[in-house]
Amino acid sequence: MKRALVVGGTGFLGLNLVDALLEDGVEVRVTRRRRSVTAFLRKRPVELVEADLEDAPSLARAMQGVDVVFLAAGYYPRYSIDREAAIETGTRQVRNACDAALEAGVPGLVYTSSTGALGPAPSGRPADERDVPAEIPEDSVYRAVKWAMEREVEAAEARGLRAVTVIPGGCIGPWDVRCGTGGFLVGTVRGELPWYVDGIVNLVDVGDVARAHVRAASAAPGSRYVVGGHTITVGSLLGQIIGRYGGRMPPERLDPGPARERADSDERAAAPERRRVAVPRELVDLIVTGQPVSSERAVRELGLGFEPLADALDRAHDWYRRFRYIPATRVAAAGEAQP
Amino acid sequence: MDADTRRERVTSLIAEILEVDPSTVRAESRLREDLGMDSLQSLELLSTLSEELRIDLEMEEAMDIATVADACAFVERSWDAQRGEAAAGHA
Repeated sequence: MKRALVVGGTGFLGLNLVDALLEDGVEVRVTRRRRSVTAFLRKRPVELVEADLEDAPSLARAMQGVDVVFLAAGYYPRYSIDREAAIETGTRQVRNACDAALEAGVPGLVYTSSTGALGPAPSGRPADERDVPAEIPEDSVYRAVKWAMEREVEAAEARGLRAVTVIPGGCIGPWDVRCGTGGFLVGTVRGELPWYVDGIVNLVDVGDVARAHVRAASAAPGSRYVVGGHTITVGSLLGQIIGRYGGRMPPERLDPGPARERADSDERAAAPERRRVAVPRELVDLIVTGQPVSSERAVRELGLGFEPLADALDRAHDWYRRFRYIPATRVAAAGEAQP
Repeated sequence: MDADTRRERVTSLIAEILEVDPSTVRAESRLREDLGMDSLQSLELLSTLSEELRIDLEMEEAMDIATVADACAFVERSWDAQRGEAAAGHA
């Protein structure tokens, strides 16, 4: 791989992927939109080009002359309110990118999916690449969108696209400008998480996911790799965060049904002003349907290893502090407000 | 671009990012407490300003900015340090 295009390179995974590619000596081109936060990328030796997932010709132009396209800009619905619109947007954008890659004659594409697109594993083993639900998930807008987007990539593969799919768990680490999965860390340390729901989550250092993408570029077309990282319960994760950085256990713990209702109602209230909610419905869905996943194939075939969870949390925490997502003073002593 | 134009741009961009009427963005307004600007929106503001004005803003330092007036002053200091001489030559 000599020249790569990162679609979504101004975002969290994208910035880490750009760094991993540069470290490997790859020439990197990155797409940006008009309002993208480019300040961090402009300090890196990359080529910035304007392109938008809603504008297929702009994508095809951006893809000219590259060996690999990394599609790390997957649509991420902020609210789980309008299921059909979210699925339509997500699939349209992936279709645009795949069509552009086919038109530009790109030799390979690495697509970033999510462990949320996996279905339940048969009892007795953790979930892995084989666990693709036959039907679109009905109980979660986020999972439905991610499932449908994967199917769009498969449809493009049937039209000749050479694609590899990386299926990461929740990423944590530096450059999380939109404060995605790491929102639970920021919210806990700031003492602002009003409630939580317990269940299993898969957390992975974003640097490991970036390295998996770089290595996946050389994998056989059609390959799929789960990069799940560490399996932990939410309760134990929050305890670990409070123990390391201070903060406060959320005062209320909800069961799955009430948690979904609460998240839905919070999102309906926040949507008119496009505010963020403390615990979005998609996060509740991921936790409630969470399951242990196996990254064995990525370890075996991509030679991937995983940073310890504590190190990943430390790296994320340092970055949030550096950019003031977390104030310099501790909110509460460790354990002070634990139930 | 003169200092007044830069100040107006800081204010109009804050209004644009927060999707509020520019008249509600006053010099003494606190970005977080009064205007509800979050960390991502602060990064958007500073990133866009640094790109439009072609100046390098120290993002970590910039994240400590409290008010609209502070943001304008920070931009002016960075402008003077990096572009002031060149701009004076074109005046």
